[in-house]
Amino acid sequence: MSPRGTLNPNALLALILVTLLVQYGPVYGEWSVPDELTEKMTVLDDGQQQFIMSGAILDFLPERQLEHELATRDAASLQKFVDDVMSLAVEMGYDPQRDMGAMPLNLNSKQFNRRTEPTPAPLRDFQREPGPFSVHRYVFPESGVPTFGGAKVAIWPEDLVAGKVDVAIIGVPNNMSSGRRGADRGPNEMRALNTISTPDIHSLVAPFEVLSVVDYGDFSIDIMSTERTINHVTRMVAETAATGAVPMLVGGDTSMLYPGIKGVAQTQGAGTFGLLHFSAHPDADRLSVHTISDEQAVFLLLNEGIVEGSETIQVGLRGPAVTEETLQWLRDKEVRYHTMSEIRRQGFNKVLKRILSEVTRGPGKFFVSVDVSVIEPTEMIAAGRIASNGMSTQDLTHAVRYVCAAKEIVGFEITDMAPMLDVSRLSAVNANAVLNACLVGMAVRKAGLKPNYVHPLAADHGQR
Amino acid sequence: MKLLSSRTGAALLIVTALGVPISTMASGPVETPEHIIGTGAYPFDTKDPRVEDKPPIELPDSVMPKLEQLTPEEVEFLESGDARRFAGSLEDTVEALEKRTPDEVTAWVQSMQYMVDRNRFIEGRDLPNIPLNTDSPKFNAWRLQRPRSMDPEREPGPVELGRYDGLGGPPTFGNFPLALTRGDLVAGEVDVAILGAPLNMGSGWRDSGERATVALRLQGWPIGSLDQYVQIEASEVLEIVDFGDVAVDNASTERSMQHVRDVVREIADTGAVPMIVGGDHSLEYPNVAALADVYGKEKISVIHFDSHYDAWWGGSGHLINHGYPVYRLINEGHVRAADYIQVGLRSAGPDKTGFEWMREQGMRYHTMAEIEHRGWKAVMDRIVAEASKDGRKLHISFDIDVLDPAHTVATGTPVPGGLTMREAITIVRRLCAESNVVGFDLVELHPALDPTYATTLNSVHIIKACLTGLAMNKEGLTSSHYLSPLASEHAIDDYYGDQQQYLDATTAEEEAAEEP
Repeated sequence: MSPRGTLNPNALLALILVTLLVQYGPVYGEWSVPDELTEKMTVLDDGQQQFIMSGAILDFLPERQLEHELATRDAASLQKFVDDVMSLAVEMGYDPQRDMGAMPLNLNSKQFNRRTEPTPAPLRDFQREPGPFSVHRYVFPESGVPTFGGAKVAIWPEDLVAGKVDVAIIGVPNNMSSGRRGADRGPNEMRALNTISTPDIHSLVAPFEVLSVVDYGDFSIDIMSTERTINHVTRMVAETAATGAVPMLVGGDTSMLYPGIKGVAQTQGAGTFGLLHFSAHPDADRLSVHTISDEQAVFLLLNEGIVEGSETIQVGLRGPAVTEETLQWLRDKEVRYHTMSEIRRQGFNKVLKRILSEVTRGPGKFFVSVDVSVIEPTEMIAAGRIASNGMSTQDLTHAVRYVCAAKEIVGFEITDMAPMLDVSRLSAVNANAVLNACLVGMAVRKAGLKPNYVHPLAADHGQR
Repeated sequence: MKLLSSRTGAALLIVTALGVPISTMASGPVETPEHIIGTGAYPFDTKDPRVEDKPPIELPDSVMPKLEQLTPEEVEFLESGDARRFAGSLEDTVEALEKRTPDEVTAWVQSMQYMVDRNRFIEGRDLPNIPLNTDSPKFNAWRLQRPRSMDPEREPGPVELGRYDGLGGPPTFGNFPLALTRGDLVAGEVDVAILGAPLNMGSGWRDSGERATVALRLQGWPIGSLDQYVQIEASEVLEIVDFGDVAVDNASTERSMQHVRDVVREIADTGAVPMIVGGDHSLEYPNVAALADVYGKEKISVIHFDSHYDAWWGGSGHLINHGYPVYRLINEGHVRAADYIQVGLRSAGPDKTGFEWMREQGMRYHTMAEIEHRGWKAVMDRIVAEASKDGRKLHISFDIDVLDPAHTVATGTPVPGGLTMREAITIVRRLCAESNVVGFDLVELHPALDPTYATTLNSVHIIKACLTGLAMNKEGLTSSHYLSPLASEHAIDDYYGDQQQYLDATTAEEEAAEEP
């Protein structure tokens, strides 16, 4: 700490302050030192006073606490206190002489880019004609190597092309959730449960009978760095989408939403499709130290113009990241958000109607994404970023099925289900139900049925 | 951090505009050698002597027609060690050539070259590091320490959180008082500071995080209680504190290392034993490096309990994960390989090359194969003798996966066929009593994987074994495998034929206790 005597008033200061406060749009703009405490301020020097009056100090403690400190401390104690908090403000920023600004890597490693390159064709030992193939011995298999919904397997883009594949389900087992981890096991657990491809009780459509669906394996991730994962996943998603198949991604944590949508955008064109994102969390962190994480996924997509704010719909917001500042930012970006407060007040059916009208008015194509945190924890205890008081699985599957039937779907993603947090496996069952709902919707659409079609036999027993 | 906003940037600019040099205002940790700052490269050689190119082959004349479309460089590559990973042995290569046309051979060889090239770091193509957003106004928010002046003034020293003789407060390790600063440790003349380190990165099932350190607090109340075997109550003998948790960045192990090292050094520098509970095994690196900062390079020996030898290196682009700490410590010169003792190895590695390297380096290792062959008692005596040699300062790094998964199912990378709790409690207690232990860590606990809580319970009792041992050491109970004679034998009859020995030993202890 430098001697307080060196803190000299600076003519530039007022200008800088005004400029900054205007620029950052202070949420605490109305705050000022209460009249009865202004006298206490006189024991502080100019710099200390500015630090308080600008509101900068409120990054470190709430107003009521600051007012308490001002009211109760003597001069020496107050000066020391403000000095200490000012030094925190200085230390908080990056100093290239003190802080690591980039994580170094092992440039000597022969496996520096390990598993970021699929094996080229001439090095593949096994030769076969392209096209999806079964992993089962039997025509009507009951078990065996687990695949999503028991689907056939495809490995290369030429398999997707040869099989005229409609939907490629892909695991993206990144494990960097900012909540509880373990979502890397999500894809395999959802494969193992084999509850996808169930016929839909409304339309009686069995998705695999209408759509050509494959298990396209997992995309490779760098277990120690999301930053080093995104390029590969983006490239692979783009390659998949370019075959005409819809990538259906199974996380993995929600940071994978960014490469998932970016990859689709590389094929479809940025800004050509809307995003319907079900999540408790807005994922709109704007100040993060890392260049990618689940908490930034939506921010990055909007910030880079990969999706438009006005064509982004968020449903189910609640929990620790939904602050006044973040909602304001979303509103400024014209994001259509529907918080749990709206759902609670209006009832889900009314909100769904509003969402559907927003979807209908939106672009012709949509990417649908579900962070399982949106679901009520009693039905999804394995959500990585769990948040109480969520949507029911039934409401969610209804909405997902409808939108996947109503619009051309360019991609789907479900993220952040960490199966070992749920010994009952119920969370994986419900995650599969959500994924299946979108498959059903796409099948309903392909079958030429209306999104709200109900088969007469499913409606009621029809007896007098 | 809810209030944190861009105004922090304003604060930074204000203070800078006021003409205060940042370097004088920063109240950060002391300078550390080997600290990577800015966008600097890793300041040590990264070449791993164990990674040797496979020997080249010489192709027979019989396959020359197949090579006619290859350039001389491509032929040289096909015969090189690099190509062996794809093309295999000489026989495999010849067979592969024979079934390919010259056109196919060209595509085959070029694909191999492509893959070798793709896997390597190429300047200009690949980033040499993982950049951070250095513009973020909250760049260091994760590790900012709360100034004392933000709370009501109190005298330095450990703080009791409870209302009833220290009990009844929020859970701390062993219900010990809380210390948060170096001043608290010094004022309290603290012997052992237990530090939570919720690093949640490099494990197989990585769900650990803050819940490992919290679970150990919730279930860890007995860690200072009476040990029946030796009749020592650690909390009576030692000043033990809960030193809180150290901040980690759970999106980057590398970025967490320096701060963990700073905080562990802060503890060791007061003479207290840092006891770090985590958290993944990457932590061994900052823990031991911090001890080397305090006690000197190559002055510390390390005993590494683990089913894995954790001296892997270079298998990815990263310089640290939970499989690399041993190699990185040796690579940076904090510890000599010859001062390492490995216990309980049984995982899929090391392979022959790894074991040969360990022997060349003079590293001591005691695998489960040795224990199977010699029996636990003989191996334990050998290990304790090695670890206690010359009174060298010793750090114990205890990965709970050294235990059999029957005892510790909730760990990142469990391997069946491990130590039992009875074996582990005994050796940890003995080491902490009979050796000169200056540091201890217990890592890789992942409570969420064990709804029965047994893994946390067992981890608690490993920690208790060391605290008991440290207390025995302070009380001078350092004889080989000391057990209380009173607790070991009822001595009513002479069933084992050595009744008198127990009676004499018991009397001697009573007399010693009565002496002033």
